[in-house]
Amino acid sequence: MTDARQPADDPDSPRAGEHVSRRGLFAMGAGGLVVGALAGVGGTMAAHALEPDDNGEAVDASVSYPFYGTGHQSGVQTEPQRHCVYMTFDVDPGTTTSDLQTLFARWSAGIAQLMAGRPVGVVQPSRASAVAQDTGEAADLEPNALTVTLGLGPALFDDRFGLAAKKPKLLAELPALPSDNLEESLTGGDLSLQACAEDPQVAYHAIRDLARIGRGTVSTRWTVMGFGRASAGAGQSTPRNLMGFKDGTRNIRSDEEFEKFVWLGDDEEWMSGGTYQVARKIQMDIEIWDADRIGDQQDVFGRTKSVGAPLTGTAEFDTPKFTEVRHGEHVIPQNAHIALAAHENNGGIKILRRSYNYTDGINQYGQLDAGLLFITYQNDPDHFARLQKKLGSYDRLNEYISHIGSAVFAIPPAPEPGHYLAEKLFS
Amino acid sequence: MQPSNRRLSAGAATAAALVSAALLLTGCASDGQSAAKQTSSGASHVKIMLTNDGSDDACALDHTSAPAGPITFTVDNKSATGISEVELQSDQRILGEKENLAPGLKPVSFTLTLDGGKYTVYCPGGKNENIAFTVTGKATAPKTGSVQTLLKQGSKEYAGYVDDQIAGMVTGVAALKTAVDSGDIDAAKKAYGQARPFYERIESDVEGFVIPGTKANDNAGNLDYLIDMRASNLDDSVGWHGFHAIERDLWQGGAITAGTKSLATELQKNVNTLASLAKKLNYKPEDLANGAAGLLEEVQSEKIKGEEEAFSHIDLVDFAANVEGSQQAFEYLKPGLKKIDASLTKQINTQFDKVNAMLDTYRDPAAIGGYETYTPALKARDANKLSQAVQALQDPLSRLAEKVATAQ
Ligand code: HEM
Repeated sequence: MTDARQPADDPDSPRAGEHVSRRGLFAMGAGGLVVGALAGVGGTMAAHALEPDDNGEAVDASVSYPFYGTGHQSGVQTEPQRHCVYMTFDVDPGTTTSDLQTLFARWSAGIAQLMAGRPVGVVQPSRASAVAQDTGEAADLEPNALTVTLGLGPALFDDRFGLAAKKPKLLAELPALPSDNLEESLTGGDLSLQACAEDPQVAYHAIRDLARIGRGTVSTRWTVMGFGRASAGAGQSTPRNLMGFKDGTRNIRSDEEFEKFVWLGDDEEWMSGGTYQVARKIQMDIEIWDADRIGDQQDVFGRTKSVGAPLTGTAEFDTPKFTEVRHGEHVIPQNAHIALAAHENNGGIKILRRSYNYTDGINQYGQLDAGLLFITYQNDPDHFARLQKKLGSYDRLNEYISHIGSAVFAIPPAPEPGHYLAEKLFS
Repeated sequence: MQPSNRRLSAGAATAAALVSAALLLTGCASDGQSAAKQTSSGASHVKIMLTNDGSDDACALDHTSAPAGPITFTVDNKSATGISEVELQSDQRILGEKENLAPGLKPVSFTLTLDGGKYTVYCPGGKNENIAFTVTGKATAPKTGSVQTLLKQGSKEYAGYVDDQIAGMVTGVAALKTAVDSGDIDAAKKAYGQARPFYERIESDVEGFVIPGTKANDNAGNLDYLIDMRASNLDDSVGWHGFHAIERDLWQGGAITAGTKSLATELQKNVNTLASLAKKLNYKPEDLANGAAGLLEEVQSEKIKGEEEAFSHIDLVDFAANVEGSQQAFEYLKPGLKKIDASLTKQINTQFDKVNAMLDTYRDPAAIGGYETYTPALKARDANKLSQAVQALQDPLSRLAEKVATAQ
């Protein structure tokens, strides 16, 4: 996936034919929409108003992604949308395996509707005494590139539903990791839903109505409302996280990397084409960080703030030289975030980061309560654990962050038409 | 892309459905498949297929008519993601239905004994929401017991339950007054805990009454206000009366004063007035259904938050009473309800069982009212669990009123 625009048969390709590349449209002139340039990018503008988003890029509300028959679930390789609501659920006591099947089938149908910009059912029933099936707040909104991704937690494969034999090979609770500061109320879950969209109300509506469909079978466990993507997809410019640094510069991008580091191969039975999701809620000490001098901030990450260049280079995409020494010291400190996390220093391991900024308002001390909803995808959850073991022990960033939430999920592949997510789990 | 989520107006939908039904009829008639044949078991079989044609969900029948008698409808959702339920209706009344339909699940069926006449297959969310279905001839088998009769009978019996609670409330409040008058604060607290549940069980039936001769919007004559008002919603011009003012004196004040005694006297008077007004009322089946749902709303909005019993913290006593009252209303509807929608009935039953089992874990014979005190610590720990259990009951229960109102 080296180009933002894929052929129609690509799983992550937008359905709308008139989708226009967002990259640099608005950055190119003084806000000038140059018609020739647009045509050059390869799209027909049609009647869609493209509005510059916070990155100065265009957002096309009409984009929708297909749900069925895409091999992989969307919301992983899909270029990150601007907003994301993440929620985990526990299956209620007394739920049967067939209740679970009904839930997955109804969620799948619901997700298909929502991703196409349609309600999950009737918004205004004709009989006055009837209760509406869809809550209605997204009724006039377009699909907004919504993707909803379902995850299955390790506990789902205990003895409750007779699914123990089907447990994905590498699915297990994450080990305790250094610097963990987890709150019980922000960890775990039998199931997870990640709903990302260009419009926050579309993402929220999706989670709300899916939670509603699930009531009586599942209860909510924890949630994070992410705003502002903090990772870049193949065709996107690099956004910034709340620490003000560009995030996602050296992220997984190409199809080859996805095959190698993210997607499970054909030998994984019902999980073939799936992956594993790790979600961490990471709180930032915003005020303390803001008071740190710029030189130190740059040493913490090993990159410059404005350009995002490695301290050994001048441009964002220059390859960091971790061994470069000047005046007897490493130019990129050895305990800088990127030095510890880079694949060069971790036996080649790469993970897909698909994070979002979040805020929970103000904490009990009157400080800004905010951070990073850090979501990763990888074909082995231990890849995350190995990196975090190191980061949790040595990362200079630890002075300013705290991992307070955590969960791991298996992400099954997308269903074929006429079927539902994880259906093969029950056969 | 223009998402096709704009619902057709009711009129347009009907018109569209008529057209497609007509098309379907002609289509079927040409190959002689219009009427379903009776099988050896005596029932005719009709398949309802739900599919998506690439842009719209549609609902189609393999036969659009059948001879009178038992007819089995089998619903198969192949690919219609926007349709999750199908109903068979006659004159806007639901005769049978299937819910939780989604692609990938096994086909499900329901059987009805139908007499000759015009019926409609209703597929909310489909391009053709209404499809005409005709039954010819007259059924030989007797029609299944009238649902209406069962529901009416249940409502009548429920009125007796309400009367019993009213009588209990009158006795309980009299005992509370005696205890307050005696000046024994512990006895008064205990009597308070014993008097409370009666009102909470039938709150949704008795909250609409005013003292004869007063206006509906004047709190000075509003019996619910005078009997059950909490500190948080006081009307300054009328002041504080009733149960919760007494609760404040007993728990927060920790003393019985002359004021407490006059509050108790006044409460008894108002409760007696309420009893004379609310006794021997008639209820419609949908009153029971709405009342059952209303009591659970009370649980969610007041009890779980600990706002009802702000001083005594006996919120779980009220909680259990609300749930009991709600379940009673449901139980009286059940014989009729089972015939309308057996699976919803079962679902509600299961969820009541779960809530009751959960409430049982809080029983404490030594505590006032028989349930653990709902302390801030207990609330912080369990409010979420309690709320989700009630929510899981509330959702299916909220669909009762429609079922009951449209029952044949
Ligand atoms: C609040 C917490 C975090 C912040 C603010 C943060 C921020 C950043 C930034 C600014 C970069 C440099 C730009 C880039 O290449 O994307 C980066 C790189 C990276 N981060 Fe983080 N990060 C956080 C947590 C984590 C965690 C928990 C992990 C993994 C366990 C991680 C793994 C990585 C990796 C693998 C890279 C790429 C390193 C490279 O190849 O150069 N980060 N992060």
